Amino acid sequence: MAYEGVDFYDIESELSDEEKMVRDMARDWVSEEIVPNIEQACHDGVFPDEWRVALGDMGVLGMALDGYGCAGMSYVAYGLVCQELERGDSGVRSFASVQGSLAMYPIHDFGSEEQKQKYLPKMASGEWVGCFGLTEPDYGSNPGDMITKAVDEGDHYLLNGAKMWITNGTIADVAIVWAKLDGVIRGFIVEKDDPGFSAPEMTGKHSLKASVTSELVFQDCRIPKDRILPHVEGLKGPFSCLNNARYGICWGAVGAAQSCFHSAKEYALSRIQFGNPIAAFQLVQNKLAWMLREITKGQLLALNLGRKKDAGTWTAEQISLAKMNNVDMALEIARMARDIHGANGILDEYPIMRHMANLESVKTYEGTHDIHNLILGRHITGIQSFTREL
Amino acid sequence: MAGIAVLLKQVPDTTARISVSEGRVDESAITSWVTSPYDEYALEVAIQHKEASGASITAITLGPPRADKVLKDAAALGVENLVRVWDDSWESLDSSQVQHALSTVLEGIDADWIYCGKQSADRNQGSTGPGVAERLGLACIVEISDADVSGDSPSFTRSSSTGSERLSPATPILLTFTKTETELRRPNVRGIMMAKKAQIEIVSADIGDAQVQVVSHNPPAEKPEGKKFEGADSVPEVVGLLRDEAKVI
Repeated sequence: MAYEGVDFYDIESELSDEEKMVRDMARDWVSEEIVPNIEQACHDGVFPDEWRVALGDMGVLGMALDGYGCAGMSYVAYGLVCQELERGDSGVRSFASVQGSLAMYPIHDFGSEEQKQKYLPKMASGEWVGCFGLTEPDYGSNPGDMITKAVDEGDHYLLNGAKMWITNGTIADVAIVWAKLDGVIRGFIVEKDDPGFSAPEMTGKHSLKASVTSELVFQDCRIPKDRILPHVEGLKGPFSCLNNARYGICWGAVGAAQSCFHSAKEYALSRIQFGNPIAAFQLVQNKLAWMLREITKGQLLALNLGRKKDAGTWTAEQISLAKMNNVDMALEIARMARDIHGANGILDEYPIMRHMANLESVKTYEGTHDIHNLILGRHITGIQSFTREL
Repeated sequence: MAGIAVLLKQVPDTTARISVSEGRVDESAITSWVTSPYDEYALEVAIQHKEASGASITAITLGPPRADKVLKDAAALGVENLVRVWDDSWESLDSSQVQHALSTVLEGIDADWIYCGKQSADRNQGSTGPGVAERLGLACIVEISDADVSGDSPSFTRSSSTGSERLSPATPILLTFTKTETELRRPNVRGIMMAKKAQIEIVSADIGDAQVQVVSHNPPAEKPEGKKFEGADSVPEVVGLLRDEAKVI
């Protein structure tokens, strides 16, 4: 039977026909193209180019943006796509998140009209790949102290510095790079052939193996003056992007959790020990019930946040809570699913260990679990705890 | 130019569990409905034909409101005109009534080419295409497995284990499709946004009198319990049974 997903609280009835159609489109594609091929892609350490083409053809890249080749669909629809993509693999959702939320969104919201027309249609179609350079080797959770610097040289900017942990970097045609210009953080559009720019791939990952992760290196990199994002200054720029990406993650994590739950349920029903399926044992049922409970809560959280996104009534703290909670529950479900699978849980015959390893990265990127706790702590107490004199 | 009509039927997902309650299939227990698979091949050829000729497509389904989904799915792939044939007084129509209703609606549509699947995935009667053609007085070609609709004179291929024939028909005509080699296209987000705006015309039609009464539905007989063989010593016996009894090796 076609994959149906977990829907204990009848989320289906809360979705519009178009949202269901988009979800089913992504779901079918993931079932037919990602699930049968993801282990090989992880083994080879590649993001197959045909996946880029297919994501562009489906129109899911930047699908919640308006105009310039973007569909202008609801954020709930975009979230449902993220859920299905990450059911396949976090690396696939990461590709779409980075392209849409981190690379296309800043051009769409902070770029000039010329920049929008030049970049967005080709990025929406998947012809051009984008990446997002904020994190540096020594500045992860604290991007405000970034070292990467831009200098106004009259007819161009000169960029120097390095970024790290950049999804899509090596395969990107366009990089959105955040650097300090006269001490103020600004966004720059760097193209892959700009002189002084290189993007070597980072290797040796045990996580997100079917996703390209790179360094971005700028050595006297010359950037034309019309490549600065004119309509944003300061950390607001990158943080706006991150909020969008974090929103996608809170749905994506539900997809990864559903994949683990589905596998654990099937395994528990078919694995016979002591003459019975292990699903008949109360300890296993307890685990499955916990998984269902957490997935359902995560779904309701994501849907409620999605409706707030569409209504424009969301807050950054709500996104922090949802990202933190849903990744946390998905990672715990992956670990619990591995436990139910016994020794078989470590094999690539099942998706469990792959999701588990992926989710360790997802827990850390786009704001670590602890940073999101600090964001909530500041919201509760009114006291920020990020910086202090020691 | 005259247009293209494609007949689409909504059926239970081909892997859905079908339950029978009080002698009837319990439709309320079916959670997933899809476009009948052979109709999807007819739709794909219709879209290719439209792309090559510029003709417009009218997708027609007969069914209750839930059948709107097959029309919206078709709209997401580029179908412009959507018609659902239904009357709330209808309950269970027999095949002649379905043919009657569809042919009545088709008489009002300017279509030189009428495409549909060779049979539906639920009833498997294969009667709708030929029956509609008969009522409209059209020629009918069934079980088409390949189509070339790229030029001015579309041609269609019927294949079997003994060979194939390629046919170039005059119009108007009704053609039914089996599985073709053509890969079915996927919808995309832009198409789904278009489908959101697409209007479905809901029409009733004369259905005539029922010719067949369904007496009862019954689930298939339960399979006998399997046999269990243990240990390497049982291998010759298992092989023998697979060869002589099950006849699978």
